[in-house]
Amino acid sequence: MEWLAERLAQAPGLENMLYFLAITLPLLSIILGFVTYAILAERKVIGYIQLRYGPNRVGGRFGLLQTVADVLKLLIKEDTRPKLADKPLYILAPIIAFVPSFAILVAIPITETLTFANMGVGLLYVIAVSGLSTIGMVTAGWASNNKYALMGGMRAVAQMISYEVPLIMSAVGVVLFAGSLNLTVIVEQQQFVPYILLQPIGFIVFFIAATAELNRTPFDLPEAESELIAGYHVEYSGFRWAMFMLSEYVYLFAMSALITVLFLGGWNPIIGLGFIPDVVWFALKFSIVVFVFMWIRATLPRLRADQLMEFGWKVLLPVAMFNIFFSAVLKELFF
Amino acid sequence: MESLNIYQNSYLFVIVFLFVALMLPIVALSVGRLLRPNQPTEQKMLTYESGMEPFQDARVQFHVRYYLFALLFVIFDVETVFLYPWAVAYEKLGVFALIEMLIFIVMLFLGLVYAWKKKVLKWR
Amino acid sequence: MSGEVIVFLLLSSTAILGGILMLNLKKVIHMLLAVVLTFLSLAGLYVMLSAEFVAAVQILIYSGAVTIVMIFGIMLTKHQAKEEKNKNPLRTTLVGLGIVVFFVTIYLAIRNLYFGQEATALHVNNTEQIGIKIFSYYVIPFELVSIVLLVALMGAVVLAKGEEGDEK
Repeated sequence: MEWLAERLAQAPGLENMLYFLAITLPLLSIILGFVTYAILAERKVIGYIQLRYGPNRVGGRFGLLQTVADVLKLLIKEDTRPKLADKPLYILAPIIAFVPSFAILVAIPITETLTFANMGVGLLYVIAVSGLSTIGMVTAGWASNNKYALMGGMRAVAQMISYEVPLIMSAVGVVLFAGSLNLTVIVEQQQFVPYILLQPIGFIVFFIAATAELNRTPFDLPEAESELIAGYHVEYSGFRWAMFMLSEYVYLFAMSALITVLFLGGWNPIIGLGFIPDVVWFALKFSIVVFVFMWIRATLPRLRADQLMEFGWKVLLPVAMFNIFFSAVLKELFF
Repeated sequence: MESLNIYQNSYLFVIVFLFVALMLPIVALSVGRLLRPNQPTEQKMLTYESGMEPFQDARVQFHVRYYLFALLFVIFDVETVFLYPWAVAYEKLGVFALIEMLIFIVMLFLGLVYAWKKKVLKWR
Repeated sequence: MSGEVIVFLLLSSTAILGGILMLNLKKVIHMLLAVVLTFLSLAGLYVMLSAEFVAAVQILIYSGAVTIVMIFGIMLTKHQAKEEKNKNPLRTTLVGLGIVVFFVTIYLAIRNLYFGQEATALHVNNTEQIGIKIFSYYVIPFELVSIVLLVALMGAVVLAKGEEGDEK
């Protein structure tokens, strides 16, 4: 992947764009593969935690082709649209929800040479662009012209904005230690000590806020099946619905990669085990984070709406503020 | 010159990613159009409402507390935007910047406490 | 034509398109999405000016936060589409004339404008440069910002609380 770094240093032009396209398309297929097997893994993990088997019919003993079959089914499913829906927005909403989820991946470095965009404001870019998906959700809710959908969309936005503030604030501690927003630099700074050890409070706040941003249990109120049926995408079917699902799992990928980069030291090996390649280290740390997300989902029950909002504003936000301050004092005294 | 190249190429990369992200749903939905059946009936095109006939317009008025939380969000978002340059430049600025930021954060924390005391943070 | 010019033309025409759409669409939510389009293309223009931090803030604050406030504001009201168009030919002519005069004035004003020497190192550690400037040269305005934000927060609380009291 040396050529990619060389390409980045050359004068920009159409030729570069084609090279970038040539690396983006394989990444897209990796992401789609990840989503396919993350869904299966999630069902399997939750199944085993709850003493069930999970999918075990399609594709052998482990149900390896289950999600593939599901996707094919979605592809040939009829696409219904309610007559009262707002047609242009109904079509636009899944696209608005999906595009930011893929676009944020450009800023996340995988290994030292496999980095896409080397942006000076990488971290802020990821957080800012991921915020755009909320607009897609509320658009979907509004365009469907359905009571459950609109309620779900509004709840989703209320929840996302309440947890975005602690999410951004808890990352400030990391930036303080790294002295840069560039994610590649942040990883390089963690060569010896990953920031999870220097920023334990920040890590916990970030992780909780990330779970809420991903709309996963225990924060899955916008999609609460028992109350809102499916929330903002209740009127969607077939592949349009699949776009919402896809964006949700691409966000899971992005968020886990971001946590790996910010707190777990990215591709840096544990000292003494440097002979194992960078990519493997990244994949290992990344998989652990994904697994923890699934584990939490299988373990915890859903919160109530008022508990959810009050927890965000009254607990996480003050703790995140305190953490910034604590980190600055720590840096002043010891570094 | 090289740093400028990297800068411009990075954003070129963003454009490529945006393009691919836009094409995926467009291509998938267009291909799907060829594969999927399309026989809309009156019943299928009805808005879903747990089996009842839908009544009234779905676009109801929402409670003011949604708006209030959005305002709080904007205010704290603006605050965090100031935190980032501070954190990045902290090494070059020293203790004085720490005190500046302390005043800034305490101010906004007072605002949060005020909202808390006025029971704005209560979600009913 | 260099790539930079093409990107600039694309972004600026998208920004203008968003503005025109906002004025001409009928439903408020449609208008809102048109505004988001304008905000995003403005962020792109900031990137072209090597101001990547400002671009990220533009996306975070305007496309993200301010839009959400507007959505919630719309949801607060009765937002049925109403068509109220009274076409007054005299007014249209006057507005058109005003636009032409405005364009000519601005064109003449900026044609020979000299901005001083162009900054060339803005893209290197953009955020750090901004941080050093804010926290050493502009400390007082920065602290005033915190007061402004505090006042805005209190004002919002007082207004919303008053409204809630009326309901009961």
